[in-house]
Amino acid sequence: MSEPTREPGRAVAWLGLAVIAGVALSAAGSAEAQRIVMVIDPPSVETNRFWATSGDFGLEPSHQPLIGQNPETGEYDSSGLAREWEHNEDFTTWTFRLHEDAEFHFDWGPVTAADVVHSYELHTADDSTLIGIALLRGAELEVIDDHTVAFHLPEPRPNYLFANAGRGSLHIYSKAQFDAEGLEGYDTRPAGTGELRYVERVVGRGVVFEKVENHWSGEDARYDELDLRFVQEASTKLALLLSGEAHVVVLPRELHQDAIDAGMEIVSSTGPAMQTAWLFNGQYTLPDDDVLNPDLPWLDVRVREAINRAIDREALIDVLYDGRAEPLVQFAMDPRHEGWNQDIADRFEEMYGFDPERAKALLEEAGYPDSFADPVIPILSTALAGNPEFGTMAELMQVFMDEIGLQTEVRELDWAGLASLRRAREAHLTHPMRNAPVRPTEVGIDAYFSSFGRPFNVYEDPEVDALVAEYKQTLDPEGRDRLAQEIFRLLFENYASVPIAAVAADVAINPEHVAGWTFPGVTSAGISHFHLVEPAN
Amino acid sequence: MRRFLVIRFLQALLALWVITIIVFGLSHLTGSPIDALLPDDASPEQIDNLIRHWGLDRPYHVQYLTFLGNALQGDFGESLKWRGQSALGVVLQRLPATLQLGGLAILISVVVAIPLGVMAAVRKGTTLDASANVIALLGQSLPTFWLGIILIWVFAVGLGWLPTSGYGGITYMILPAVAMAWFQIAALTRLTRSAMLEVLDAEYVKLARLKGVPEWQIVWKHALRNAAIVPLTYFGVLAGSILTGSVVIETVFAWPGTGWLAIEAIRGRDFPVVQTVVLVFAVVYLGLNFIVDALYAYVDPRIRYD
Repeated sequence: MSEPTREPGRAVAWLGLAVIAGVALSAAGSAEAQRIVMVIDPPSVETNRFWATSGDFGLEPSHQPLIGQNPETGEYDSSGLAREWEHNEDFTTWTFRLHEDAEFHFDWGPVTAADVVHSYELHTADDSTLIGIALLRGAELEVIDDHTVAFHLPEPRPNYLFANAGRGSLHIYSKAQFDAEGLEGYDTRPAGTGELRYVERVVGRGVVFEKVENHWSGEDARYDELDLRFVQEASTKLALLLSGEAHVVVLPRELHQDAIDAGMEIVSSTGPAMQTAWLFNGQYTLPDDDVLNPDLPWLDVRVREAINRAIDREALIDVLYDGRAEPLVQFAMDPRHEGWNQDIADRFEEMYGFDPERAKALLEEAGYPDSFADPVIPILSTALAGNPEFGTMAELMQVFMDEIGLQTEVRELDWAGLASLRRAREAHLTHPMRNAPVRPTEVGIDAYFSSFGRPFNVYEDPEVDALVAEYKQTLDPEGRDRLAQEIFRLLFENYASVPIAAVAADVAINPEHVAGWTFPGVTSAGISHFHLVEPAN
Repeated sequence: MRRFLVIRFLQALLALWVITIIVFGLSHLTGSPIDALLPDDASPEQIDNLIRHWGLDRPYHVQYLTFLGNALQGDFGESLKWRGQSALGVVLQRLPATLQLGGLAILISVVVAIPLGVMAAVRKGTTLDASANVIALLGQSLPTFWLGIILIWVFAVGLGWLPTSGYGGITYMILPAVAMAWFQIAALTRLTRSAMLEVLDAEYVKLARLKGVPEWQIVWKHALRNAAIVPLTYFGVLAGSILTGSVVIETVFAWPGTGWLAIEAIRGRDFPVVQTVVLVFAVVYLGLNFIVDALYAYVDPRIRYD
């Protein structure tokens, strides 16, 4: 009689053990799922000091700028360290009010105006290599109270929020930590303010972050740990994704299909993160500028138009971006920024549409090649981190140009080599370019199409330059918009460049581990808002 | 013997000095680090500030002499890519990873190649010999980066036996070490085989056989001891090749050693780190060859009297 009573007890015991084991396994499973392994390209500079990078910052998950950006739209919002801001009438003073409850990691205290001043000094020092630093520099900072700081600028800067947002030049570091530990403290364990905090950096491997519980913003990261790994080799990145070792990978586009075929998914930024174009360098036509090489064949607008009409942009986008990009109307022009010119967008097909016969006729009309001292068009084949397609782009450009009878020559040079030529204003060639993320109109025009962008600009024209000068002095939004539209119209009608595509930032995810990620494509790397990565379970 | 060693040592120092000139010259010929580190929209003021800050505005010979003087004191400057760290510090931090991987690769090379070479010589003309020749042929003709990628896809992605890449314990080292060792196995197998063939035909081996010495003793004790001088000479080259081969393999396997460091530093035009890596490689290479020369002279007295 004892056996029957013992059996149910044993069964219950086994059942209990099974339940416990199940719960434990499930807990272990979910604990594992809370760690996100993300693989990206190695940054050009590996450091915890943001001002020593060109903006491709490895600590974006933990460090914040003053201005936040909406993950859906990319619009400036109060998700950064400033809860509100204002400017005076002529944009020479910008005042930021900080979130009173914002605080640094590792108990380094609340974020105050003193931290902003301290960070500004670090970021604008002589050894700063930050992109766009000119827009940030030159300010006199006034601490109004613990949580209010005013930037007094030497001239009107309507785009000053850009310098303080995702792609900007200022991330806020703790002054208290600096006073106590110096720069070594930042090198060892920098305190940020983001939803994730720094754990460790291993040179050559990457950076590890962990979730901040009860983050001051009220929004916590959706997972516990972010393991950000730096891997250069494209096939190794794909292998990491397919083997399940990595959950989110920034893959070259040519490998996307391999990832999709293996059951992975591609997640894109909500907005275009980059514009790409082919530039005709050396168009320095301001009077008395002796750097102009008059023998460049593309100084003749008919040659520039012919090249634009020789390009089958649809085919180009299919090959370069797997069809996942939009044709670009005008390099540096974007519907999200001032100066969007719908008229030229409507005329794009008529002016830039694929028409090899018209292109040949234009060359004939220009007397090409006999009327040209040097008819050969050098095409630069180069590589740039984040743009592995530039080499293929050069090959395709050569095919299209050859097709209409242009004499071409491919030259190979690394990106730094091109930068060296551009710095000397001796880049007598045509080459690819990206505008990433899509910069505010004034910054974009300066960088490429006006003498204000010297020495790296590629195009200078008296009429455009005069308009740019007027545009920079104009403060009312309508006037600025009108002038920017006019500048874009001139550039468009002069075929100043070969606009190619507006491209989103893509990442490949393993859907078994990651359900999704919303980011707007507003940083140098294109990715941001790391705390919004959604684990699958 | 002492004179021989002193001459070899002075030659090594001379080679090192020439290497410093070549490294400095080549790294500066590739262009300015300014162009790799500064963004496209850098202003002339920003460019000038950095050129001054890093001393790049001084004449090349002044920069070289400063570099040489500092290097003699162990100061190779501050890294431009790994800001806040000294170039030597960055290299020394990554050197153990390369030595670990290189050590394992050498071990695999020796453990596989020597017995394979010996057996191929002993069983000359058999299937085993033919297989060893095929392995040697494949080893010397397959590019290591390609082999590395194939190993990743087969053993990490396909079979899931080993991790794809990264730094860690022995499981992380197996694939990159095999990829690095593959070429060396081929070279060492061929060398061992040919040296053994020569020795196995020698009079003293025939005498040993006539005296009834067991065959395994003849091969592994008497013949191999005399044949080993050839692979021993190759050891310096082998170690050097493993070190320099790490540049490719460490990049493919994301193994953060000095090879990976060299590539990243070159991409970022981090002159101080590039110079330090090459000089450290050179010192290791020259040091190993010096040791091999000394051993060679010790084993073969004719060398030191030449």
